[in-house]
Amino acid sequence: MADSDEELSLLETLDHLLDRGVVISGEAVISIGDVDLLYLGLNVVLANVDAIIRTARKT
Amino acid sequence: MRAVVIGAHRHRDDISGDAIAIPLGDLFLSAVELAPQQPAGDRELLIRVAKIRARLLDVATFIAVRYGFVITNESDAMSKCGAHVDRWRALLDEHRNDVELTLKIAAATPQPRPKRTEFANGADYLRALHAATQGAAIDGAFREAVDARLVPLAKQHRWIHRDNASMELALLVARERIDEVNAAGTALKSFDVPFLLSGPWPLEVFAQEVEQ
Repeated sequence: MADSDEELSLLETLDHLLDRGVVISGEAVISIGDVDLLYLGLNVVLANVDAIIRTARKT
Repeated sequence: MRAVVIGAHRHRDDISGDAIAIPLGDLFLSAVELAPQQPAGDRELLIRVAKIRARLLDVATFIAVRYGFVITNESDAMSKCGAHVDRWRALLDEHRNDVELTLKIAAATPQPRPKRTEFANGADYLRALHAATQGAAIDGAFREAVDARLVPLAKQHRWIHRDNASMELALLVARERIDEVNAAGTALKSFDVPFLLSGPWPLEVFAQEVEQ
């Protein structure tokens, strides 16, 4: 659980870094290869762990 | 010099540790200097900046600048950010003791994400993406509980359609009330709704100009 918490925390931190905050006109979109990091920032894992486990058990 | 900007701060002393301070009128930008040839998208750099950003928030609230904004010197900073200085100063003075918290909630009715390859042009794809984002709705009872328990603890709040599978509530909260918000968030676990309450964050949502 500790590892998943740390991973979630890092994901959430990176999501805020990449997808939040004021945008200065003229800034460049950051990409690595064909992967757009700002686009990646939209794909955040949602996790109330308890609710996810309950949902998984139902399906 | 090339430096990736982290945020805008009211005082020089608000910037410490591994970040450098670049004057912006009577404000200061925090930034991390890039090594020669180092891309701003460098993975290690991203993680380093994320950690520095968190430490800066421990010192004082600042205005977060979205990652990827690179400047070369003080005059470059002023030419690109000078128009924002008055507004940023007012925000920093007003919210020095406030932080943002974010409640991200899984949509009860997630919308399918449009596939780029199925659209003939970018405009149509963006319109479909926007419609999917706006169509995502969360559980009604959960939203009522959030509005009743969390929102009153905040100075300002804003509901945001973030993507096709979630909604987000941004809260502007006095630092001394963070524990109250966390306690209220913990109580929401009685609902069978996946959510994530995170923070504190610098001024992100509430530093942006409201779209009309």
